[in-house]
Amino acid sequence: MADNRQANGEMVQGTLDMLILRTLITGPAHGHTIAHVIEHTSENVLEVEQGSLYPALHRLEDRGWVNSYWGASENNRKARYYKLTAAGKKQLTAETNRWRQVVAAIGRVLGETAE
Amino acid sequence: MSLWRFFRRSKRDAELAHELDSHLAHEIDDNLARGMSPEEARRQAYLKLGNPLRIRDTVWETNRIAWLEDTWRDFRYAARTLAKTPGFTIVAVLVMALGIGANTAIYSFLDSLLLRSLPVSDPASLVVLNWHAKSSLLGDSVMQSMSGSTYDDSGQGSTAGIFPYPAFELFQHDGAQNNDAVFSDVFAYCHTREVRSMNVAINGQAEVASGELVSGNYFQGLAVQPAAGRLIIPDDDRTGAAAVAVVSHAFSEKHFGRAGTAAGQSILINNLSFVVVGVTPAEFFGVDPATVPEIYIPMHTNLLLGTGDTFGFRPADYLDNNYYWVEIMARLRPGVSLAQAQAAWAPRFQQWVATTASNDEQRANLPALALKQGATGLDTLRRKFSKPLYVLMTLVALILAIACSNVANLLLARAATRKREIALRMSVGAGRLRVIRQLLTESVLLASLGGALGVLMAVWGIRFLTLLLGGGQGNATVHADLNWHVLGVAAVLSIFTGVLFGLAPALQSTRFDLASTLKEIRSSQSRARDSSSRIRFARVGISGIGVSRIGVSQVLLVGQVALSLLMLVAAGLFVRTLSNLQSVELGFNRENLLLFKLNARQSGHRDPEITDFYAHLRDRLAAIPGVRDASLAEDSLINGENLLPISLPGLPTSPETRFITVGPDFMTTMQIPILAGRDIEARDHAGTQRVAVISERFARINFPGQNPLGRHVILWKRSDEKAIERDMEIVGVSKDARYGNLKREILPVVYLPYDQGFPQPNQMTYILRTSGDPLSYVNSVREEVRQADGRIAISDVRTQTGEISEHLHQEIMLADLCSAFAVLAVTIACVGLYGTMSYTVARRTGEIGIRMALGAQRGAVVRAVLGEVFVLVAVGLAISVPAALGTSRFVQSLLFGMKPNDPLALTVAVAILLGAALLAGYVPARRASRIDPMAALRHE
Repeated sequence: MADNRQANGEMVQGTLDMLILRTLITGPAHGHTIAHVIEHTSENVLEVEQGSLYPALHRLEDRGWVNSYWGASENNRKARYYKLTAAGKKQLTAETNRWRQVVAAIGRVLGETAE
Repeated sequence: MSLWRFFRRSKRDAELAHELDSHLAHEIDDNLARGMSPEEARRQAYLKLGNPLRIRDTVWETNRIAWLEDTWRDFRYAARTLAKTPGFTIVAVLVMALGIGANTAIYSFLDSLLLRSLPVSDPASLVVLNWHAKSSLLGDSVMQSMSGSTYDDSGQGSTAGIFPYPAFELFQHDGAQNNDAVFSDVFAYCHTREVRSMNVAINGQAEVASGELVSGNYFQGLAVQPAAGRLIIPDDDRTGAAAVAVVSHAFSEKHFGRAGTAAGQSILINNLSFVVVGVTPAEFFGVDPATVPEIYIPMHTNLLLGTGDTFGFRPADYLDNNYYWVEIMARLRPGVSLAQAQAAWAPRFQQWVATTASNDEQRANLPALALKQGATGLDTLRRKFSKPLYVLMTLVALILAIACSNVANLLLARAATRKREIALRMSVGAGRLRVIRQLLTESVLLASLGGALGVLMAVWGIRFLTLLLGGGQGNATVHADLNWHVLGVAAVLSIFTGVLFGLAPALQSTRFDLASTLKEIRSSQSRARDSSSRIRFARVGISGIGVSRIGVSQVLLVGQVALSLLMLVAAGLFVRTLSNLQSVELGFNRENLLLFKLNARQSGHRDPEITDFYAHLRDRLAAIPGVRDASLAEDSLINGENLLPISLPGLPTSPETRFITVGPDFMTTMQIPILAGRDIEARDHAGTQRVAVISERFARINFPGQNPLGRHVILWKRSDEKAIERDMEIVGVSKDARYGNLKREILPVVYLPYDQGFPQPNQMTYILRTSGDPLSYVNSVREEVRQADGRIAISDVRTQTGEISEHLHQEIMLADLCSAFAVLAVTIACVGLYGTMSYTVARRTGEIGIRMALGAQRGAVVRAVLGEVFVLVAVGLAISVPAALGTSRFVQSLLFGMKPNDPLALTVAVAILLGAALLAGYVPARRASRIDPMAALRHE
């Protein structure tokens, strides 16, 4: 558990932003849901450190990639929802492409050394 | 963007708090759903989220503007610290307020004098036309006759702004002749004798008003819109046009109520009918800040006004190439600079003026055109007040320097007591720069408080200065107010001085060995270190007292002493100058003399009955109970400035000789002793033998060792110096009396009766010797004049002593202000001395106690402290006395009756300073001597 967290749990700030944007592409969600979705979708490999989630959301809002509004959640509680903006969508595409490039490059390097 | 976020921080934080609560609520719900107990659900939820406060903190941080927050925190801390030591804060703020206030007040005058633009549109494109002649004007030149002012350019020739009318026409036809015209408008104005004080009658009520002759396109050139009616147009300014007038806003309000009702009214100017056609806007005052005309009339009306006046305008004057009287201003075309206009016009004017010369001597001394910028109007006021204002500016700057160094000293002393606090802060991690910033915030706060208080003081100061500079006269043309410009300067000054005097103490108090300072039980150990080598208390050197050896503190005190001495010397010089001027021998008795002006010609009287009118009026005035003697003259003696060719028959005229036309009993009324013969009397009038009374000096020069009585003196015709205008027999010799300004030497004067021929009387000044206060007779005088002729108004009512004060008002101003400033400077310096000495004594209480326990006498302690003060003052004097001797020649032109290195002024200044300093040091000295050794040791 500890090893897992060490290897996978530390997420670079930009990566978290990207994951959040991706999560929102299916529709608006509030902070709690976003955290759970990321964990579940990654099959608990990625543990979102919830403490850094909200600063990240605020950062995304300041940059205009998401909008926020107050609404009622599934549990009928008041919650703050976040919604992807058009600019955010563009940003997501750009970041996803860049990420894939990086992964491919790393893969090539690892692939070569493995041989 | 970040600034907006910064201000919304609290709101966002509140929202985030709710958000986090909601998140926790959801997580708890989930946990409960997973089957945990409520407490466990809560605990796990919190564990997963982390510390919500920390999250909020992180978000808060991203919206920080670090330096702004730090500055605000510094500011609040500084305010708290200053509030903890109210005594120090109050003294420091007061000192700074005096310094900044004085500077603000004087600067606001300089600003209004030098920088304030005319209230017209686009003043920057206006130029004033002047000419400059290299030689003095006494030789033969093209300027055959002049009406107006010329200025002596410190020995390098003369400058004036008056031109012949044909020259004005030359400039006016600029655009018509060629395509490269540089002026879009050229207009003229004139403020000569005829219009300076005009008799204006409205509905039978007569009064004296000041006027201005203006060319037809004057208002058009200045681009001024009327407040009511219309302004003068070119069609009004020609011979034969209907006589119209435009009045100022203030004049209209005074006489016609609202501006709108002035237009269409008919008024009498010098007994001639004029129709008011409009009113100028309220803020308009013409082009000369020194004069505020109340009535503007077209230039050509001076021909109407001049009829019947011996020296009045004639149509020939408009064609005369050599009579200089008209003043000209122009507006530059867009894109044309002053230099270009000067280059374009100087040769053209040169060419023109050469054609007006009639001989070679004149051709050698032609005036050269000089264009000056006109945005701030004519420089009459500037010429008059620039020098004194600059002197005052220097003095207040010195005061500010003294104030700053004073507060710096106080801060230094105070910093010494805060050593532990600063050391502590630096030891827990505050960088040196951070602490310095904190200390500077304190000093800037101090300076700003002082600045704010100073601005309030400046309001009062400006009012006072306006009164002083205006010489108590009614017109407020020299005035200033606190506009944004001046306030901005005050603010900048506050911040600058705050940093200035805070820097040295801040640097000083953060430079020391941290560890040892923290380990000190009190500051006694540091004292022990440097007092260990000094056992004998009787000889206390500078290095024993103070923050460090020859410390900043000492240097500042010495500087203050030096500056204070300079100001004391300046004050002494000006006070003595004033006293010299006030005790100048006048030759007549100045007490209880009432003077006022009257112009019967302006209200319609003509030769020859005008002389009868003046004579009868004199009789009536003499009959007023309380009036001991009455006479009249063309002007008061002090104002006299009359040159006409007078000499002995057969001899050439001397440029020194002056004359004045007077009425009967002139000498008696003025109480000028008659040395031989008699006074001018009522029996000397038109038709009797022409007589004259000469002054002692005239007699000595022209009749050395002889009896002048019965001899003749001739007044020659101006146009032909061989033809006799008046041939007079000398009937009396009077003692010398001051003629003209007070600073000149006594001139030879000839007194002629005003009613025995040329020059015919025009405006006359009546002189009444009263018993008791002259001004209490004004109403009776007005009544007598009104009964004699209701069309006449008297003007310039004053006492002789009042008139002299007016002449001296610049000297009075300098003397009063410099004395006030010097007292201020000495007070501040002494407060500084007192403060520093007190702190020093307080710091060294323990040591002094020990010494006294070891046997030092009280007297020795007092002497030692005073000796310290004395040494500081002595060093200050050593610096400033040579400086005073060296720089006093700069104010030479403002002094009278003494050399600048006046030993008396210097000695008195030194004595005052020494006395004040020793007084300031005495209290701390006595306090030191009263230290109870046992208490001091226990206090240790």
